[in-house]
Amino acid sequence: MSISTFTGIQTSLRGLLAQQRALDVTSHNIANASTVGYTRQEATLAASAPLPVYTSGGATAGALGTGVDVQAYRRVRDQFLDLQYRGQNMTLGDQTARSDALSQVELSFNEPGDNGIANALEKFWDAWGDVTNGPEGAAARQTLVDDARDVTQRINDLQASLAATRQRAADEYTQIAGAGGEISRTAGELASTLNAIRSAEMTGSQPNDLYDRRDLLLDQLSTMGQVSVTQSPAGSIDISLGGVQIVDADDTTGIATVPAGTFPLSFASSPGGKLGALIDLQSATGPIGSYQTELAAMAQSLSDSVNGIYGATGTNFFAFGVGTSGLPEINLNEPAVSSTTVVGGLGGQSDNALALQISNLRGGDADKRYQQLVTRMGNEVAQASRSQATAQVLTDNLSDRRESVSGVSLDEEMTNIIRFQRAYQASARAMSTTDEMLDTLINRAGRVGL
Amino acid sequence: MSTRITNNMLSRSVLSDLNDISAKQAQTRRQMSSGKAITKPSDDPFAAGRAISLRSELAGIKQHERNVNEAQGWMTVTTTALSQITDMAQTARQLVVQGSTDTLPQESRNALADQVDQLIAGMKQEANATYDGRYVLGGNRTNVRPYDSTENKTDPSVPTNDAYAGDSANQLREIGPKVTMVVNVHGDEVLGGAPGATGNMLGVMRDIATHLRAGDTAKLGSDDLNAIQGQIDNLLSVQARVGAGMNRLDTASSRLQEIEESTMSMLSNTEDADMAETLVNFSTQQAVYQSALNAGARIVQSSLLDFLR
Repeated sequence: MSISTFTGIQTSLRGLLAQQRALDVTSHNIANASTVGYTRQEATLAASAPLPVYTSGGATAGALGTGVDVQAYRRVRDQFLDLQYRGQNMTLGDQTARSDALSQVELSFNEPGDNGIANALEKFWDAWGDVTNGPEGAAARQTLVDDARDVTQRINDLQASLAATRQRAADEYTQIAGAGGEISRTAGELASTLNAIRSAEMTGSQPNDLYDRRDLLLDQLSTMGQVSVTQSPAGSIDISLGGVQIVDADDTTGIATVPAGTFPLSFASSPGGKLGALIDLQSATGPIGSYQTELAAMAQSLSDSVNGIYGATGTNFFAFGVGTSGLPEINLNEPAVSSTTVVGGLGGQSDNALALQISNLRGGDADKRYQQLVTRMGNEVAQASRSQATAQVLTDNLSDRRESVSGVSLDEEMTNIIRFQRAYQASARAMSTTDEMLDTLINRAGRVGL
Repeated sequence: MSTRITNNMLSRSVLSDLNDISAKQAQTRRQMSSGKAITKPSDDPFAAGRAISLRSELAGIKQHERNVNEAQGWMTVTTTALSQITDMAQTARQLVVQGSTDTLPQESRNALADQVDQLIAGMKQEANATYDGRYVLGGNRTNVRPYDSTENKTDPSVPTNDAYAGDSANQLREIGPKVTMVVNVHGDEVLGGAPGATGNMLGVMRDIATHLRAGDTAKLGSDDLNAIQGQIDNLLSVQARVGAGMNRLDTASSRLQEIEESTMSMLSNTEDADMAETLVNFSTQQAVYQSALNAGARIVQSSLLDFLR
């Protein structure tokens, strides 16, 4: 087979076009250097099909290269890293929600400081001590009643603020997992992205930027809980969160939808991630719930120990029970106990026998319970923030590894620009060289002696 | 292929490093401005629990110190009253000696009897001594005057009320953990209750006045003199008891102060920031922060673009 005279021009043209495409991809990369979730692309160049030529060297035909073709525009991405990243991101979502809520709890304890319960307890025992010194003094008794009110108020406030933190976790859960919530919106967006991908793929194209969009949405979803993706028979994917299917691709048509009645989400077991943390935080048996239980036990111990002694007067000093808000409450037994009726003992106005016994309760069970509660809470907050920091570091690490594969490096793109520009220039030069050769052939050949 | 470092990675790591250092600096700054190593329980949960327990202990010690101060005030008033009463009893004794002299005219004895009456009123008044508005010699009935100290001048024949209005309850003060001591003296221990009762000062004094008016020098010279001496001895022993109590309070007070100091230093070791160390940390962190900023600025800024035409 003979080779066309103009093959060289055609080959150069392919080179020009291919380098131009490669430059276009580079421009796209540079333009998206800061786009969240963008995966760098590269034009995959390959030599185009050669022309067979007969050579004198033997029976086999030689192959004359015909230049270059763009085979594909490839997304440079490692799917395995995506899975690792999403798993770690789920842990991060869990730890961040926990650590945030527990830091709130820590603030509401107000310890160590003058506004905490420990300080109020000190003052309360001090007030009893002062009553032992002068049970008949109006000032000492007034102080006692005020300090008793203060300590009960602080205990009840903390109880209420712990309940409010749990309620906030419940509200946040509803906001995220409820109908029209964040997850519901993400699922809807995922379904429409999947459908767009599907129709693009059916026309034979490779919608790289839609893939990026899909992967970004899955990343966002992975903060919330355990995301699992399964191939559906018709080619699209099914997505479930914490074991609940939130995007379903039809087995025959492959069209993805959010199944009706999915939201509000409810899980058979903990979905992990932020949702798992929120479920645990709002639970009565979760960390905050257990602080409430212990605080109530401490309040009851305070009430029982003081009443156990003061009850000899026929009146309880404290009243402990479930208040109007449905939370355990401790209160001064008013109006039976007031600054005018409170006594230090039974044997006359300045008997301080009961007051002496009560002031000896300082450092007793109630105080110890509270100290243990603060220490336990402090430990758990410290633990949560350490775990959060660890999860953050690991997530950052994986994010870096992913970015290392898929991210846009401007230095690299600059280098590529030069590379492709030079290749383009060289192809152009080859074309003009061929042109000059043809000029020789067409315009000058056969004009000998003119 | 070696690890690709992209621009996004660079800026993320520069930012997160700067955040880390800033967070550490903020913590150090909190320690410097509060002077405390622990500003929240999670900084050091064990130390936070211990600090709460030490504070409670410290508050208990301070309460005991206040109790001791109260008790000291109470006993000082008691001692003063007792020594005044003793002085008056000594005066009464001299009057008895004077009145027992046979050569003394009866008018003078009557005058002495009047003086004894005044001394009785004075003793009662001293026995009504108060501390912070409370009658210290009244047992638990601290709001009731233990003795009626008004002398009926218009009709001397009406017997004055010498009854003790208090009770014999002990006033206890807690001066240490579960350590209580009695701080009070009952009025009837020193002045007695009803007239004529044996071993009571008021009865003896009334007898002396009666005997002076009656000119019964024999009784004055023997029984009365012995009786008043007996009362003075009783007073001195009560005073000795109170004195011993005050010594005990002094000891308790200095012991409490020592415990307070050691507890305070334990508390300080537990929760106070070591200023020197904190300052060193702070300047180290500042240097680190500045060099991180410097490095970050250079790394983030430069690019191949700077060197291409």
